[in-house]
Amino acid sequence: MKYRITHSTLYQYSQMVGLCQNEARLQPRDFWRQQCQSSRFDITPEPADFQQRLDFFGNRVAYFAIQQAHQRLMVTAISEVTVFPRQSRDHPTNLITWEQVRDRLQGRPEQMQRQTQSQSQSQSQQQQQECPDDGLQDAKLYLLDSPMVNTSNELADYAQPSFQPARPLVQVVTDLMQRIHVDFTYDPSFTTIATPLSDVLHFRRGVCQDFAHLAIACLRSMGIAARYVSGYVETLPEPGKPRLVGADASHAWFEVYVPDTGWLDFDPTNNALPFDQHITLAWGRDYTDVTPLKGIAFGGGSHTLSVSVDVLRLE
Amino acid sequence: MNASVNDIGVQFYATQLGVYDEMLAKEHKVLPHWERFMDAMGAMGSEQLESCRREAQRLLRENGVTYNVYGDSQKLTRPWRLDPVPLLISSDEWRLIEAGLQQRAELLDLVLKDIYGKQQLLKKGLLPSELVLAHDGFLHPCVGALPHQQRHLIVYSANLARGHNGRMWVLDDRSQAPSGAGYALENRTVMTRVLPDIFRETQVHRLSVFFKALRKGLADSAPHNKEDPRIVILTPGSLNETYFEHAYLSSYLGFSLVQGDDLTVRDGRVWLKSLDGLQPVDVILRRVDDSFCDPLELRSASRLGVAGLLEAVRRNNVAIANPLGSSVLENPGLLAFLPRLSRYFLNQELLLPSVATWWCGQRRERDFVLQNLDRLVIKPINRSAGHHVLFGGALSSKEKERLRAAIITKPHCYVGQEHVSFSTVPALVDHHIEPRFAVLRNFVVAGGDGYQVMPGGLTRVARQQDDFIVSNQAGGISKDTWVLADEPDRQVSLWLQTGRNVVLSPVTEPLTSRAANNLFWVGRHLERIKTSTRLLRTIVLKLTTTLESDDPLNSQSLSVLLCALTQVTGTYPGFIKSNADVLKQPQHELLDLAKNAQRAGTLTANIQAFAQTAFSIRDAWSQDTWRCVDNIQRRWQQRVVNNECDLEQLQKHLDDLMTGFVAFIGLTTESMTREAGWLMLDSGRRLEGSLALVALLRATVVQRHEPALQNQLLEAVLVSTDSLSIYRRRYRSFIQLPMVLELLLQDETHPRSLVYQLQQLSNHIGALPRERGNGRLSEEERLILRAYTDLRLLKVSELIQADDEASVYSELESVLSALTTLLWQLYEVLAQAYFSHSQMPQLMTPTQAEDEL
Repeated sequence: MKYRITHSTLYQYSQMVGLCQNEARLQPRDFWRQQCQSSRFDITPEPADFQQRLDFFGNRVAYFAIQQAHQRLMVTAISEVTVFPRQSRDHPTNLITWEQVRDRLQGRPEQMQRQTQSQSQSQSQQQQQECPDDGLQDAKLYLLDSPMVNTSNELADYAQPSFQPARPLVQVVTDLMQRIHVDFTYDPSFTTIATPLSDVLHFRRGVCQDFAHLAIACLRSMGIAARYVSGYVETLPEPGKPRLVGADASHAWFEVYVPDTGWLDFDPTNNALPFDQHITLAWGRDYTDVTPLKGIAFGGGSHTLSVSVDVLRLE
Repeated sequence: MNASVNDIGVQFYATQLGVYDEMLAKEHKVLPHWERFMDAMGAMGSEQLESCRREAQRLLRENGVTYNVYGDSQKLTRPWRLDPVPLLISSDEWRLIEAGLQQRAELLDLVLKDIYGKQQLLKKGLLPSELVLAHDGFLHPCVGALPHQQRHLIVYSANLARGHNGRMWVLDDRSQAPSGAGYALENRTVMTRVLPDIFRETQVHRLSVFFKALRKGLADSAPHNKEDPRIVILTPGSLNETYFEHAYLSSYLGFSLVQGDDLTVRDGRVWLKSLDGLQPVDVILRRVDDSFCDPLELRSASRLGVAGLLEAVRRNNVAIANPLGSSVLENPGLLAFLPRLSRYFLNQELLLPSVATWWCGQRRERDFVLQNLDRLVIKPINRSAGHHVLFGGALSSKEKERLRAAIITKPHCYVGQEHVSFSTVPALVDHHIEPRFAVLRNFVVAGGDGYQVMPGGLTRVARQQDDFIVSNQAGGISKDTWVLADEPDRQVSLWLQTGRNVVLSPVTEPLTSRAANNLFWVGRHLERIKTSTRLLRTIVLKLTTTLESDDPLNSQSLSVLLCALTQVTGTYPGFIKSNADVLKQPQHELLDLAKNAQRAGTLTANIQAFAQTAFSIRDAWSQDTWRCVDNIQRRWQQRVVNNECDLEQLQKHLDDLMTGFVAFIGLTTESMTREAGWLMLDSGRRLEGSLALVALLRATVVQRHEPALQNQLLEAVLVSTDSLSIYRRRYRSFIQLPMVLELLLQDETHPRSLVYQLQQLSNHIGALPRERGNGRLSEEERLILRAYTDLRLLKVSELIQADDEASVYSELESVLSALTTLLWQLYEVLAQAYFSHSQMPQLMTPTQAEDEL
């Protein structure tokens, strides 16, 4: 499936801004599920300084600075991406239990190497070894607390019913995703970026960011590595109605690490396993690592912000 | 022999059993390197030593050496305390410590380089990843951002203590922004003044070599302009606990002292915002914690940093000492792995052992800690709020259970450490020399061929016997540290370079916009205080005569003056529109206008604002000037604010206050070069002086009064503008309105007149740096020219024409009010042109969740 994504952000200020510096994570990254053919920025006023790099997580970051006085800043990223219709490889049939995954994530690197060797022998018949698992070491980062995801006993308690003994991890996570979808109400009026998870858990309300953070926190509380994904999902117009340009939005979901397999996607907001309608921008420990656009402006008085996203299917 | 002499010798010194003492070791016999020193102490006697202590304290206070205590509601700084008995370290022992610290710095530098580089330690399992990644000091945006240079850890500091077996231990490593070197230097300066003979006879290593190395180390780290880099010290500001040191080092080393908003990033480079425009910055010696240094990529709420700083680092356009992210080395869990890392990197054993540490992220270690909670110190690896060091033995069983559960839930976030005992050192306590537990902080700096250790350091001792807490926040006392040399040390001046005999072109440090703003406000506060002091003085005098005689004229003019005081100081409602009682019994309100610190516009509030603004640019003042500021504030606080004081006594204190400010003005006029800094200070004074004079006239003489009353008021106005004697000399007549106005508004030779203020202000504005060339007047030049010309063109006789029925001189009022408006506009324009850093940064991230799905 091929898409063109147009993501525009407009800042308007009540007074002049003399200088602003920004960081954008608005360009889709490449990985086994997708490939980004082209991606460009259209920024007005034109930035005096523009640099691109990959961040610690391998996401594409653009740094840019507007050094002239302005009262209006428009940042548009336009990307063309192909999403391959691949299920996360052996996804539904992966039978490794959550306890096994937890124990392997707890192992030291030396032990890990020994384990990987013995397991890869015993499991080589049932599993293709597409990616050799030095990913296990990297996955450990996603076991730890992060700025917006703090594990707690309450979160572990909520997670507990999904974690039946000896249950395969994939089933555990699917169950957790379904429970979040059923138990929580989608309510954009309830949360802000700063709403703590404890409030989300208590009031059972939130948006996709909250649900992703909640699922991640539940999994980390049980010793499972999980990470936050920022991206888009294609929305289809209701039958008989025209497609509205720019009415789409950013989206967020999460991924879980399964040893010898890799990272599997889950979308608790839609209770779905992302397939070829989820376009990934970036991933990290939580929202703070992958904020699509952030900046610091000097001056400006008060500002208003409007965002429009358009996900257009090309073929 | 004098009875007071030899009463503090070694024979009076009682150490504790089983505790190692720096002077006596374990054998209870004075170690050879202490002998001469103790003989000298004995010969001095306790009285003389105590007077040395007091003299040291006086010097420190006068030099403004302070330590800010967080949470001090009085906003007062705490004087630094120095014990005149130093810690002596023999040259043999020092060689071991020096080598140990050099090795440790070398090792930590390699660890830092790996963590922010290839991360081999994590990949090979030499360091557990969660130990590093879960530490707040690990800043992932800094991975890959280290510049290509030999050493990254530029400054390093360690706290050492000696265990009961006599071995030195490292208690903790400081890699973030180590403080204390400036205090160590100041301690030494004071010690050489209070014990000059003993210091001379004892061969003590000098400290200046270290600061020379520090300058060189910083200059060498510059990515550009290595020959003559611009180095700045980045401070969080005057409320920081060690702000004195930031200002002190900046003066001593000759670096600009800056705050985050003095810097800006443009085109991927860091610039200093100065009155002369943007100046490139090559090296930042930072005293701001790394996560606060860049609100764009790190902690977004920080107001202390510079947006885009990390990007400038990434492009190798600026060096930061220490690099952003280096606080990852302060993780106490790292101590457990250092021996292994030392073997891996250096193929050496650690020369200085760390305090025994068990990181709970490992099962065996965690079990050990849980089983031995009672005898261990438990530390969270992160020093964030709500996480404290806990002494297992001191916990109740409930607290212990809670701690146990916390460790089991997130074991990788905790370490257990051995409860080490320290050695004792002789300390002067209540005229006796008594043993106190001590910790030694050392300082290390990177140089071309390795690390250089300050031959000395900052020794801190606990106040109470048996106390192990030596921190300054807890009221510990500091000591100088004397590293003894085998032969006399050559004195190295920081400013002398041998072998070169060239005339250097003088350097003018650029004035930052923030410093300019503060200097301007020091001037304004100063003038504000002077105005209200003079008026208050006049009123108190008037009050006394009113009480003595029954003349109704006196009480009428007093009422007008009281209302004027409220208007001039802006302390409404005060004497205006309140019941007649306040006007009849003004004493209470008058005292409140002097004393009340919580009310805007009072003398105390203005004096505090003056002193705080001056303190926030401490590096701008000479030693004498600062002493003057300190005296003004301290005396006022002691005599007026903290004391019961009546109006009669207040009169005397007001006189003293004026004298203090006259001294301050004299000193600044004498000692400040006529550059932008002085222009700013004096412009602030002139502007405020003009506004205050206009306000006084509007509050007193605009209103028409019967001739006798007017005469009294005019006299009071002349007295409180310090103009009465000039008036008498000049006009030799009764006091009459036209002449008073002429003198106060238009007399160009009278330094208290309005026209004189505006003329000075106009000169200053003309001399301030700005972009020139188009031949047109700048906005501020236009405004001051207009005000000045309007004033000169006035005809006093026209101002005071009025109908007999009119209650005010309306022409005078409209002229004065127009001048006020012009002067405020002028301030706005000046602020815009020169203090534009005051544009507040704002975060442009969505606060509302943006997605709709």
